[in-house]
Amino acid sequence: MAGDQKPPSTGGPGDVPPGAGQGWTALSYLIAGMLVWGFIGWLVDRWLETDGIATGIGIVLGMAGGIILVVRKLGTPQ
Amino acid sequence: MFGQANVLAQGAANFPPSVEDFYLPSILPWGAHNSYWFTKITFMVWLAVGILILFFLLSYRNPQLVPTKKQWFAESIYGFVRNNIAVDMIGHQGVRFAPYFTTLFCFVLLTNFFAIVPFFQISPNSHIAFPAFLALISYVLFNYVGIRHHGFVKYFKNSLIPPAPWYILPLLIPIEAFSTFLVRPFSLAVRLFANMFAGHMLLLVFTLGGFAMLNATGLLAPVSVLSWLMTVALTFLEFLVICLQAYVFTVLTASYVQGALAEEH
Repeated sequence: MAGDQKPPSTGGPGDVPPGAGQGWTALSYLIAGMLVWGFIGWLVDRWLETDGIATGIGIVLGMAGGIILVVRKLGTPQ
Repeated sequence: MFGQANVLAQGAANFPPSVEDFYLPSILPWGAHNSYWFTKITFMVWLAVGILILFFLLSYRNPQLVPTKKQWFAESIYGFVRNNIAVDMIGHQGVRFAPYFTTLFCFVLLTNFFAIVPFFQISPNSHIAFPAFLALISYVLFNYVGIRHHGFVKYFKNSLIPPAPWYILPLLIPIEAFSTFLVRPFSLAVRLFANMFAGHMLLLVFTLGGFAMLNATGLLAPVSVLSWLMTVALTFLEFLVICLQAYVFTVLTASYVQGALAEEH
């Protein structure tokens, strides 16, 4: 557009989403982890008729996975 | 269009407000209850589009070196989105996306703002269809940008395979896939929709609740007044939510685009 200035030189192009994006990413990993593996566990439950055990294991696994993802992707870069 | 005001004037508001209150009578076949082709919501969306197009066209039509008031206003909105959202989140190549983010930000802000404008008093975004479509556009945008930047295979490899030893990858890949390709558009749409829906509901409860109490017995009149004062206070809160949600929607879209453009994690 007319009168458009040059882009300022500020703004670090990091690989980690800055600010609010980071918070939402972390939250979505933690919830998605529980949901995905909880659901897989629930399917296993239905299949093997182990009332609820597999769902529980799935949710715990999913939590662990979510935490690993948050640490790996949002933690201090190596 | 003045459905709500009429309902209040007739004192015929049924108190616990329900989802029905979000489906306003149609405008074009005037007052029809089963026709949704042209309702107040439709009107507001077109109005918002029209206002934005006119505003930006008029304020940039004859740009001055020393900006006029209108030009200054338009430039500061664009400058805010470009510097504080696009460049901040994506880096210097974010400038390419600044026009879209500005449009998105202004559109969401304006349609949200209708929630507290007298006689409009409902936001189109309190119907899931509008946030859902905006989220769909963001979804297509970040995937398209990612695929174009990296190529199809590399983009999906980038976004599905996190930096981790191979033996935990089977645990992590489903989570990544779910959170990137399913949760993102869903949460984007639902966050905006739920905030605007809840805001409208809250205002309805306090306004109509005041009338309901007044109709029940005159003794409750002071409580009715308190309830209406709460409506005023909540309107200010609603204003905060309106601005915040427009900002959050744009920032998250920018953050997804940034994620799609990022090199190896």
